[in-house]
Amino acid sequence: MSNTESTERNVTPERIMLVTFLVLSAVFIIEPVIADYPDDARVFPQLTASAVFIGSLLLLLQNYLPGPLYTFVAESVSITSSDESEVVEQAGDEEDLLDERDQKNGKDTLGSKYGYEVNETVFMVSTAVLYFVAGWAAGFLFVTPLYILGYTLWFRVNPVVGLGLAAAGTIVIYLFITYLVMPFDEGQIFDFSPLVPTLIDSTSLLLRGGA
Amino acid sequence: MAVDAFLEGLVVATSPEMLLWLTVGLLLGIILGALPGIGSPVGMAIVLPLTLPLEATAAIILLVAIYSGAMFGGSISAILINAPGTESAAATTLDGYPMSKNGLAKNALAIATTASALNGFLAAILLVVLSPVLIEVVLAFGSPEYFLLAILGISLITIVTQGSIVKGLVAGALGFMISTIGTAILSPRPRFTFGQFGLYEGIDFVAALIGMFAFAEMMKLAARDQISDDDVELAGSVRKGIMTIFKYPVTTIKSGLIGMGIGMIPGSGATTSTFVAYAEEARSSTKDGKFGEGDPRGVIAPEAANNPTVSGSLVPTLSFGIPGSGSTAVLLGGILMHGLQPGPVLFGDQLNITYALFISLFLGNVLILAVGLTLIPFASRITELDTNVIIPMVVVLSFAGAYTLNQNWWDVGAVIALGILGFYMVRNNYSIIAFVLGIVLGPIAEENFFRSLQISGGEYTIFVNPIDQPLSFLLSLAILAILLGPFVKGRAERMVSSS
Repeated sequence: MSNTESTERNVTPERIMLVTFLVLSAVFIIEPVIADYPDDARVFPQLTASAVFIGSLLLLLQNYLPGPLYTFVAESVSITSSDESEVVEQAGDEEDLLDERDQKNGKDTLGSKYGYEVNETVFMVSTAVLYFVAGWAAGFLFVTPLYILGYTLWFRVNPVVGLGLAAAGTIVIYLFITYLVMPFDEGQIFDFSPLVPTLIDSTSLLLRGGA
Repeated sequence: MAVDAFLEGLVVATSPEMLLWLTVGLLLGIILGALPGIGSPVGMAIVLPLTLPLEATAAIILLVAIYSGAMFGGSISAILINAPGTESAAATTLDGYPMSKNGLAKNALAIATTASALNGFLAAILLVVLSPVLIEVVLAFGSPEYFLLAILGISLITIVTQGSIVKGLVAGALGFMISTIGTAILSPRPRFTFGQFGLYEGIDFVAALIGMFAFAEMMKLAARDQISDDDVELAGSVRKGIMTIFKYPVTTIKSGLIGMGIGMIPGSGATTSTFVAYAEEARSSTKDGKFGEGDPRGVIAPEAANNPTVSGSLVPTLSFGIPGSGSTAVLLGGILMHGLQPGPVLFGDQLNITYALFISLFLGNVLILAVGLTLIPFASRITELDTNVIIPMVVVLSFAGAYTLNQNWWDVGAVIALGILGFYMVRNNYSIIAFVLGIVLGPIAEENFFRSLQISGGEYTIFVNPIDQPLSFLLSLAILAILLGPFVKGRAERMVSSS
């Protein structure tokens, strides 16, 4: 096995997560000392961060731990009896099979039609991040229909259903603006709120058939 | 005092406004519960910020109704398509789906509806009867005990959910740690904000709940296609299904008691209780049971246990602020968000709200029976929804809801960040319930931790002093026993087997 392959095998999502926990907890331990927090603001975060740090370190190094400590760190325990565990495992296995089947059968997307394969979960997260950034910059009211339409089109949902959903999503955001007084028509960078009355007028005109 | 509070609660719970929220919550719960991947915690998390304009009692009744409705709704997809809508309905798939395949889908759905509603109804009565005892217990607790209870809750969750104890403890401690971001509780000192004004109020626990339950679940769902791949045929008889419940009264009552008992244990939820009820029924019916092949008792047992678990789980949640499951963690979030304090206040000055909640639960189960039995012919429609239609709507509602909490973009960012974290935590067997419990209970635990130290003059022995603080001492012992017990037991078993 080459060094690259061995490194790839060692860098698992769980290990990345544990290293993140380690760094984060180290910050929570050191920052109160550097910034000179008073005792009542310092002790509790430092205690909890120490627990995270020690626990994450043990989990990261579990393969190198001596017998009893390894058992404590790595072994799965449960107070539920063996009979139930079997039943739980059986149901869990069925769910795993379902997940496995879903992962094998990739979804039919607009990308796959043109030869671009994008992992569904990655696509979902990326578009959600884009939606967040665009909503922050230009206001959710204007970005929501584009996001929903784009998402449903990518997964080749019936365009009429996609349009209906986009309209429903926009109405939900408009209700937030009207009843909860949320400034979803204003972005932090672009302010399109002066367009809202014109848009409402033209929508109602369109619904009345242009009469 | 208790009688006055009960009557006051009765008036509130039966007012038209509360009945409306109860009905809305139940219907929402049944629909959300029937959608695999959505379920009660996701639905409750999305709805939580939308309850901000509501009065506290109405908001809590709405959330409990969603929880209760989802318990029943989860069984619809479990029975029809072998995919439980909620984790607690997983045990129902074992015999519910074979019943569907045997042409008895309507029977199985009617059994689930009747068992769930009937026992939920009985459990709500039991809860009202038990409440005077609860009041006495709750009033005996002080600051050290409340701090230790938070630790006990996380410890219990780590051993109830299967997996490594250390992973559970890391998850819980991480939740506590994240909860300390923002202005300190006891001194006006911003912590871990790094000059970002938006972090001064910390990460809202409701945003964390939305991220951990709604966003993380959507990430998982993104890889799934239409919820149901199979054509669902609704055959059988509703009437015969209802009658089956009365053929097995012992199974129904025994499972209900198991559900309520397990629900009362902090840290355990309906997933545990339904499997225990199923396993117990399978054990006690070895002679004539055909479990796994469509035995109706295999549907009665988990379904008769699930709604009493809701009633049971309200005991630790309302009295000590220790939720037993994802749904009760969200419910606790709602209670705190609306300015209510679990513990002495909810069982003292605000006892009328607690009673209103119990009475709503009782009325809710009557409604479940009526709504559930009416919905059976249309049940399969819910399972035909495309996940690509659900996901963008949930994302829109999650982001808008998170922003509404404090009009803070950091909360929306937290939904995404914690959602991704939650997704990987679940994949690697870290308890997200322990994490969420840490975030929700963090401020309460920190406050009680410092109050305890102020009482003792900085001595940590206040948590383990058997003479002055016997209750704290017992709780500390319980935590140790819970965390070390399984290993001591395992080692003892290995020693016996090797000798």
